[in-house]
Amino acid sequence: MKYIKIVTLILSLFLTACTDVVSVEVPFEGSKLVIEASLDWEKGTSGNEQTIKLSLSSPYFNDTAAINNVTGASVQVTNVNDGTVFVFNDENNGDYTTTNFVPVLNNTYSLEVIYNGETYTAEETLYPLTGINNILQSVEGGIDSEVIDIEIFFDDPADEENYYLIVYYEQGDLFPFLDDKSDEFRNGNTISDFFEKREDEDINQEPFEAGDVIEIELLSISKEYYEYIRLLRSQTDGGNNPFAAIPVTLKGNCVNITEADNSPFGYFRVTEVDKLTYTIL
Amino acid sequence: MKKLFFLISILYASFLQSQEKFTISGVIKDKSNGETLIGASVFLQKTSIGAVTNDYGFYSISAPEGNYQLVVSFLGYKDVVQQISLKGNVKVNVEIEEDANILDEVVITTEKNEITNIKAPQMSVAKIKMNTIKKMPVVFGEVDVIKSLQLLPGVTNNGEGSSGFNVRGGSSDQNLVLLDEAIIYNTSHLFGFFSVFNADAIKDIKLYKGMIPANFGGRSSSVLDVRQKEGNNKKFELTGGIGAISSRLALEGPMFNKKGSFLVAGRGSYAHLFLKLAGEENTASFYDLNLKTNYEINKKNKLYLSAYFGRDVFNISNSFVNDYGNLSGNLRWNHLFNDKLFANLSLVYSKYDYKLNINVLEFSWLSFITNYNLKYDLKYYLNDKFTLDYGVSGIYYDFDPGTISPTTETSSFNLIVLDKKRALESGVYVNAEHKITDKLTAQYGVRLSSFLRLGGQSLVNYENDQPLVYNELLDLYQPGVSIGETSYDTHETIKDFINFEPRFGMAYQLNESSSVKAGYSKTTQYIHLLSNTTSASPLDVWTPSGKFIEPQQSNQYALGYFKTLKNKKYSLEVEGYYKTIDNVIDYIDGSDLIGKNYIEREILSGESRAYGLEFLFRKNKGRLKGWLAYTISKAESKTPGGTAGGLGINDGKWYNAAFDRTHDVSMTGSYKLNEKWTFGSNFILQSGRPVTYPNAQYSYQGLTIANYSERNTSRLPAFHRLDVSATYIPNRKPNRRWKGEWVFGIYNVYSRKNAAAISFAQNRETGNNEATRTSIFGIVPSVSYNFKF
Repeated sequence: MKYIKIVTLILSLFLTACTDVVSVEVPFEGSKLVIEASLDWEKGTSGNEQTIKLSLSSPYFNDTAAINNVTGASVQVTNVNDGTVFVFNDENNGDYTTTNFVPVLNNTYSLEVIYNGETYTAEETLYPLTGINNILQSVEGGIDSEVIDIEIFFDDPADEENYYLIVYYEQGDLFPFLDDKSDEFRNGNTISDFFEKREDEDINQEPFEAGDVIEIELLSISKEYYEYIRLLRSQTDGGNNPFAAIPVTLKGNCVNITEADNSPFGYFRVTEVDKLTYTIL
Repeated sequence: MKKLFFLISILYASFLQSQEKFTISGVIKDKSNGETLIGASVFLQKTSIGAVTNDYGFYSISAPEGNYQLVVSFLGYKDVVQQISLKGNVKVNVEIEEDANILDEVVITTEKNEITNIKAPQMSVAKIKMNTIKKMPVVFGEVDVIKSLQLLPGVTNNGEGSSGFNVRGGSSDQNLVLLDEAIIYNTSHLFGFFSVFNADAIKDIKLYKGMIPANFGGRSSSVLDVRQKEGNNKKFELTGGIGAISSRLALEGPMFNKKGSFLVAGRGSYAHLFLKLAGEENTASFYDLNLKTNYEINKKNKLYLSAYFGRDVFNISNSFVNDYGNLSGNLRWNHLFNDKLFANLSLVYSKYDYKLNINVLEFSWLSFITNYNLKYDLKYYLNDKFTLDYGVSGIYYDFDPGTISPTTETSSFNLIVLDKKRALESGVYVNAEHKITDKLTAQYGVRLSSFLRLGGQSLVNYENDQPLVYNELLDLYQPGVSIGETSYDTHETIKDFINFEPRFGMAYQLNESSSVKAGYSKTTQYIHLLSNTTSASPLDVWTPSGKFIEPQQSNQYALGYFKTLKNKKYSLEVEGYYKTIDNVIDYIDGSDLIGKNYIEREILSGESRAYGLEFLFRKNKGRLKGWLAYTISKAESKTPGGTAGGLGINDGKWYNAAFDRTHDVSMTGSYKLNEKWTFGSNFILQSGRPVTYPNAQYSYQGLTIANYSERNTSRLPAFHRLDVSATYIPNRKPNRRWKGEWVFGIYNVYSRKNAAAISFAQNRETGNNEATRTSIFGIVPSVSYNFKF
């Protein structure tokens, strides 16, 4: 018996691949404009207040906290269906805001950003969302059946293709977790999505405990944005492992019509969003 | 016209010589167990007449009336000389004995007109004896045929723990892997940590890296031809081994009054057991079973039945249960029409299936590929200058790319069955080995292959025939516009392809110890593994050529110099190759292949090219044996936009293949100290894998996003590793049947943290970007015990 224990120990030592942080030299090819234009209409609100963020990309290993905010740009959104123009005001901190945006379901909006003499444009449609039906907390669910997981449920309309972005954010964390869903295999059903945190000593991550507060957002997104976010999510989980595809540049829907080669990063999305805050019991 | 006339006259001359000659034919076997020997050479001393035994141990040579000394020789065996007084056709079956005392290998003192690798036109072949493979140091002491092959020039893989292998810059699905003629679709256990071949059940392995003979077809890079043992037909024998990862047991013995024999070999891992004891709920295990039996009906007819079954099982807390594996069977009938004409008829079945139960999401996934292969191969030993191989083959495929089923009533998944596909691949070939002069031997042949993509499904029609369209504004590839479907009946053919594949090789002997060889082969690959990941995964599905996917066309040219030194104590092989493959599937940025019915919306057709120079220096005799291999090579791909428009993948520029290794050095050696101890060692040094590193970061959705540069422009750090092993054979009483040996090994002696991957992500605790290296194996000591009874 003792023998088996020793063998076990040896095996568990060697079978787990080991990871460590290394220093690597990476290339940098100059800064580009990053457009984070997320016009999300929260259910039950007027959706009049919206913010668009502009920044610049930087070398990969630069301090992430120092975001290069872009000021002095001109930003406006137009409802393509009725021609209404919404001008966004420069807050001089990278944010551009409006308080009179009017979201209309199934209408198409266009974005125009002028920065450094170059004009960037994009177009997106606002799709309706059914909303979160229910949220459940359990231990048995999820991948790890020993930690607390939460599961949200929402109804998928049967007559069309639907795409979703789900954002989970535990208060106190540095940044959220994203999940994407399409109704490709689940059309017309009640779709569920679970979220759990597994213990990870390397990043000081603990499973959920009673009292943890989690902010959940469910957004209705376009097919194109779904493709974008799916790729974004798979690449931010860390590419380059042998069972991952070759990581590539994320191409959003914003186009530089002045200088096509200087295409921006980011995306112009217009969505309906259902938000929910849940406290672990 | 003149050339043709010349060729015909040469051929005619070859036929003419067949007059007034008699045939010596038979089967060469191992004396101890009756196993037929593949590739043993049989020749008549003081003549240039000789032959090599075929896959069933059969040979046939022709010579004029007279007295001869027939010599049978095979690497690792004692030479046998037999007096023949040739007055008519004779049958000479010879059993040869393994040379236990290989150190002082008996060298035939007389002039040795053996057909050596110097003379045969076949080149670009990698061969390792099973005995050598069993003594090589390997991780966890788990003998691995495929890992051993990677120590030869031109063969690599995507690093530790990645499945499959790459030959001369080809992807892993471009290798035709045959186990007793049955196609093996996945060669790996546990995602590539181990191979599916149980060394105890294998008799012979041969890897054709180029100049693929015309009897093989269907893959564009290589053929790995693995033959199972037939089983001891003299006495019952039990062999086995206990290792750190798995245990093996094989039983073999005579059957049907010694007119036949059988072999049953099993191997099972017990890693799952240990993991369970360690309190882990996650298990990973594999097992496989090899079967073989044969029956000699009479002198002219023999039947063989062989089978393989292997599986991998993963269970992660019961929420994710995954099992997959290969199943194959082959019934063969050897028939000897006469002393010169040998025939084999095979009926082969292969299947690979992949099952996944994601209980946590309440759905299951099942996909498989099945094929039935009927083939008839003949070998005609026309005369001492001319041997002809010809035959036909037909493979019927059933592709089931996937079914998604809900596993509970409350599951949010619908039942989705992806379109099943069917195809028929056939081939007719003829191949001649022709001794044109004493110094010049040629091998030439042609394979005519055809592929019918059969109906029984619907296909989508696209606007402007574009399943994929380049969106110029967003610089993206997007799905084309569907304009209805065409339904094809089961008796209809959706698309057919016919290809003419010439194969040619020649050897010119410069002198007794050296030769130059040249080879050319064209091969066509009709089925493709859909895999957009760096290394193929067991979940990847195969898809046939058809309306949207053209067959791959490969052209390979090779030139080599071969030399033996000091009475064959050493040998040197230098080969250069250049290979191009057209119509290689490449995947658009962000392609998603899982559960997709319309693969044509995710792919473009590209080309790949590879070239390199391979050196192999071997020491074949003495206490110290082994080799030093070095390859310098390049493998890259290019995929233009084609009918979809746009520049294509990676802007239509050439980019490094994931398995491109500029430099690859491997050194392997074994040293026999005495009867008790043998030591082995490997050293590997190669350029790191090409990877794509980030070239910028930006903030989006509260996250830091990495932007990536052009494909595969960076490289992982160089990979190097030293492994050692020692085999200890305890004192044996000569009459005791039980024979045991201990194999001790240390893998990665200096515990280098070779990067299998470097991934880039934002640390959730600090928020900083980090490069994280994943290394698979540190230093791994192992012990295994092997026995024979």
